[in-house]
Amino acid sequence: MIELAGYEAINWLLVIVGEVLVAIGVFCDLMGALGMLRFPNFFVRLHAATVGTIGGAVVPILGAALIAAGCDFLGYYRWFMAGAALVTAILILIIAPAGSHVLARATHKSKIVPVEPKVVDMLEEEESRGGE
Amino acid sequence: MSLEAHVTTFLVCIIPIYVAAFLIYVVRVVKGPSISDRVLAVDALSFDLAAFLVILGILFKTAILVPIAIVLALWVYALDVYVAKYLEAREMGD
Repeated sequence: MIELAGYEAINWLLVIVGEVLVAIGVFCDLMGALGMLRFPNFFVRLHAATVGTIGGAVVPILGAALIAAGCDFLGYYRWFMAGAALVTAILILIIAPAGSHVLARATHKSKIVPVEPKVVDMLEEEESRGGE
Repeated sequence: MSLEAHVTTFLVCIIPIYVAAFLIYVVRVVKGPSISDRVLAVDALSFDLAAFLVILGILFKTAILVPIAIVLALWVYALDVYVAKYLEAREMGD
């Protein structure tokens, strides 16, 4: 009986921690979407995109993995769901900064968007000097 | 309240906030001034859609929705790299 109570308590603990992570993630997702709508420029919107991908996708997927590991009504496949969600979170954690960085570099080099709030731009100075 | 009812209630309350965020991203995809803005918005939209798929998988008790999120994330990374290559070299590669 005591072992059964401990099993239930561990399930509840996993679910509560996962729900806190999902709540943080959905808040970051909404803030990233609002920033993507309201920010004035492409290079400023990169900040909102980072909030929306890392805070809005990686954190809730980790929370969903914990929820899936704690939900025993999902049956035997809950371990499959938790593992696949963990792999998805690690994959997005690697490829989202790489994708946005490669897009920012291509946009800067092709000069289709002016670099608007600018103090110093050493990459542009180096390109105008002719050094590649 | 049982565990299943608790989890289901929480996830059902989460879903409208995600849908609101998706609609705001779609506004930016439609009216983005340059192609970089559109691709960046599609990028963020699809990563959040992957998170939404995992949550729907828990809600519907369907385990097969989670690997689809992996495939979606990898295709969006491919879109980023293709568009960046086109912008930088003006050709799509052979």
